[in-house]
This record gives sequence, structure tokens and C-alpha cells, in this order.
Amino acid sequence: MTAPFLDSGASALGAALGIGVAFGWCLERAGLGSARKLVGQFYLTDLTVFKVMFSAIVTAMLGAFWLGRLGMLDLSRVYVPETYLLPQLAGGATFGVGFALAGLCPGTSCVAAATGRIDGAAVVAGVFLGVLGTGVALPRLQSIYLATPRGVDTLPSALGVPYGVVVLGVVALALAGFVVAERIERLGDRGSGLGDRERPDDRVPSPDPRLTGAQRG
Amino acid sequence: MPNVVRRLLAAGAGALGVLAAVAGRPSPRVAALDVAGLAGEIERETDHVTALELAAWIRDRKPGLRVLDVRTDSAFAAYHVPSAEHAPLSSIASMKPADDETLVLYSEGGAHAAQAWVLLRSLGFRRVYFLRGGLLDWMEDVMSPAPGAPPEAAALSRYFGGVPRVGARPNESATADSTVARARRRGC
Amino acid sequence: MSARAPRPYADPYVAGVGLGLVLVAAYVLVGRGLGASGAFATAAAVAVDASGSAAARGNTFFADHLAGGLLGDWLVVELLGVVLGGFASAALAGRLRVAVERGPNAAAGARLALALGGGATMGAGAVLARGCTSGQALTGGALLSVGSWTFVAGAFGAAYAAARLVRRTWT
Repeated sequence: MTAPFLDSGASALGAALGIGVAFGWCLERAGLGSARKLVGQFYLTDLTVFKVMFSAIVTAMLGAFWLGRLGMLDLSRVYVPETYLLPQLAGGATFGVGFALAGLCPGTSCVAAATGRIDGAAVVAGVFLGVLGTGVALPRLQSIYLATPRGVDTLPSALGVPYGVVVLGVVALALAGFVVAERIERLGDRGSGLGDRERPDDRVPSPDPRLTGAQRG
Repeated sequence: MPNVVRRLLAAGAGALGVLAAVAGRPSPRVAALDVAGLAGEIERETDHVTALELAAWIRDRKPGLRVLDVRTDSAFAAYHVPSAEHAPLSSIASMKPADDETLVLYSEGGAHAAQAWVLLRSLGFRRVYFLRGGLLDWMEDVMSPAPGAPPEAAALSRYFGGVPRVGARPNESATADSTVARARRRGC
Repeated sequence: MSARAPRPYADPYVAGVGLGLVLVAAYVLVGRGLGASGAFATAAAVAVDASGSAAARGNTFFADHLAGGLLGDWLVVELLGVVLGGFASAALAGRLRVAVERGPNAAAGARLALALGGGATMGAGAVLARGCTSGQALTGGALLSVGSWTFVAGAFGAAYAAARLVRRTWT
């Protein structure tokens, strides 16, 4: 019997719990439960978010491709999100603004809250309210919400390029991106950064004399 | 220490990526669904044919016509439209389009055939239709058309060995297999 | 206060590969990927339904998320797992700490206000985009969905621009 194995029901929920635990574990291990570390991405001092995300995307992409190629995973039974170009671009941009302001995303905010960060809990509350309010307003946003539907559209079919070639392309881009990310981080280390990337900061934050006056917000 | 691990991971990813580019398509393929286009065709009713239209196509030996029965083995064996091939739903995923073929899908009541129509369209098939009303309509409209039917219905019916219900002879039963349910039910 | 010094974080590439393997496990076990904002949508749907307000009636977004109840929703259970996993990892690494993470020159209140407002903005974006970084960027990204990659481009572009506005919170 080829994968996916479960459909719905109690065993699927059991899998949800286990998968969630592993997800949260990996996020925290990488330090993504810390907003201070996360925002380093946007100030180019700590590109952990990029490294973790794209390592994960490449790994899962290769895993899905190869398990499909070997006939062990039936890709047509794996849920691929539908494409709605305009709302996903606009929603993405909106999400990005919120992400920069909050310093955490919905998933990492749960990790942050779980590890005691009050700002994480505030983000959780904010996401809930935002989803609630937008859901209530959604009937009035239908023209945007339902615009430009493309059904299940993947890069290989949209670009007219074979699946395996797109896979190679993404791997190449990611590896090149990692090289660039390492260089950017090393350049930033010459100036004053937001703290040691590898060590979590456990002191109460105090004004850093090197920063006042030298850097403008 | 971490550098060794990183290089190994990068090398592994690179190798798997290069192999992926030459490995060919994973099976089965991910189909692209043109939701807006298909919805338009369904609305304009260019997605199906009636039983009489199908009967005319078969009688006139329309070039490239293939009639596909998507029901189970036993149902197909009990009765199928003359010239139909058996193509159960499980075989749909591995079908490949051919430019010169016109496919007509049918099932018991039409639902499974309509679903298979969507699937084949998403796999890139162009000339594919389904029989609206399915085998039930075939039985009623072709094998034993009622008195109010179009005039060519009677001729078509006799061509397929059916018995048109002409005048006041309600007792005459169709020659088709009686296991095909006459009553309209939610068949697939 | 933690009893011992916090351990260093894991290598980001190793953690990322681990995360990717978790994602593949999800594809293999249940034919779907990870997510987060969907769980919030279910929570919101349950809340609206419980309040009995007219806003819920006829709202297909909430109706879609109501089937099965709160704990019957796959993403809600998954997110509960995320909480447990995050807690366990931090506990074992000495990284549990009650704090308001912020830069050295920011007040806690301002930071919390930004967190709340930023969260609400993310919630709005996630509803429109049908997902967030977990569901669209990670899951859809790995499956090469065009919409997911569009989301990633929009999100990161806007985030870099908006981050300049709040730099003072972190430096």
C-alpha cells in the first residue's frame, strides 16, 4: 500500500500530535522561538530564518520528489494548496508587514509562548483577533479573496519545465543562497550585531554603548 | 565540526537534485486543473453528449471514437454499450491523451463518468465527453424510446437491437438485461 | 530564572533538514503538510459559533472550519503538539524564561503592542492567502505550488520594507 497511509480519524489526529511535537522541537532547537533571533533576518545580522526555512523546503521537496519517483508516495493524494495569485500576493505582503512588526509568525509565536515569552503570547492573541476579524469581514472581501484562481498549479506545469529540473533549480538556488547568507553574516559581524547568533541571550537587555548614536533606527 | 556536516548535507542535496533532473517524472503525475476553463465548459454544456448523439456517432462509425465504460468488471460483463471498452476508474490515472481520439465516458447514472471527465481533462485530454444520464438514459432513450421521442430515435433503437415503444404497447419490455435498474436512482 | 546557562542553538541547516523530514513524514502519514493559521481559523470559528452572533451564519469561511469541532481539527491538534515540543526542547536546553523579548532600548509595553498589532496583521494576511509561513511557505513551497511561492515573495519583500520602521525596537 503506497503512502499516504492515513486519511482522517483518530489515527490521523495521533499523527498530528506527534508531527506537531517534532515541528515545535525543531523550531525551538533552531532558536526560532526567540523574536530577537528571528528579526535578525530582516536586519541581515542573523539569517537563521532563511537557512532553516530553505533547508526544510529543499529537504521536503527532495523527499516528496524521490518518494514519488520510487512509487512509495502517491503524490496525487498529497494535498497541494490551491493557487489564487492576487490574494496570495496581497495576503503575503500583509502577512510580511505583520511578521516584521511582531517578530514572530503564527507557528513560532506558539513556540515562544510555550517557552515563557510574553511577547509570544501577545502575538498568538493578535493572530487570533486578526483571523477572527478578517473572517467576519470576508463576505465583503470576496472580490479580492476569490480573484485569479488557478486551481492546483505547480511551478513545473506553470513554467513548462519537467518536475525534476525545477527540483534541481530550487536546490541550486538554495545552495547559492546559503553561501550568500554566510557571507552577509560574516560582513555584519564586523560591526555591532544584535548579539551572538549561537548563544541565546539570557541577560536582561541593557543599552549597548556601541549602539547608541552610532546606528539610527 | 559543523562544517563537515554542512558540506555533507549540501553535497547530498546537490546529488539528489542533479539525479532528479535526469530521473524523469515521478509516478503518478501531478495534474494541473484549469478550474475556470472547465467550469465554463460545464456551464456551456460542451462537456457531455446525449444518448441519442452517442448512438448516432457509433452507428455512423465516427473516426477516432472510443466509448469507455468506467463501471466495475461485473457490470461491464453483464451489459455494455455496443463497441464500448472497459476502462475502470482505477485505470484513469495512467491514461495518455491521443490527438486523433474522441472519448465518450459513461457510467450507470452519469456521476462517475462526469467525475472521470474532470480527471481526464486535468490530465490534458482534449476531446473527451461523458454520456449525460449514463446507461440509464441509454436504456430509456435508445434501447426503448418512448412514443414522444424524436423520429430518428426509433431507427437508431432498431439499429442497436432495441425495441421502440410505439403506440399503446406498454407491456413490451426492453431486450436489455433486466438487472439494469429501470427506476431512476442515485447511481454512479 | 533558569537554573543553568542556556545551551547554544542547533545548527540551522541541521534543524532545517530535521524540519523538512518532519514535513515529509506528514506527507507520507496523512497526505498533507504542516500549518498554523488554519488552527487559529478553527478557533475563531468555534468562538463565533459559540457566541451565536449573526456574523457566523452564512459565512462559509467559518463554516468550513467548524466540522469536527476544535479538538477534531488536524491543525489544532498539531499546534498543541508544537506547544509541547517547543516547551520540551526549551526545558531540556535551559531556555525556558519568562520575559518580553525586545531590544535594549525598547519598553516592554511598546514591544507588546507591536506584537499584538503585528499578530493581527499576520492573521489578516493569512486568511487572504489561505495560510502562513508554515502552511504556504514550507508545505506549499516544498510541493512547488505557484501560489505558495507567490506568498513567500510577497511576505519577505514586505517584511524587509516594514522592518525598517521598527528597527529601534531591536537595536
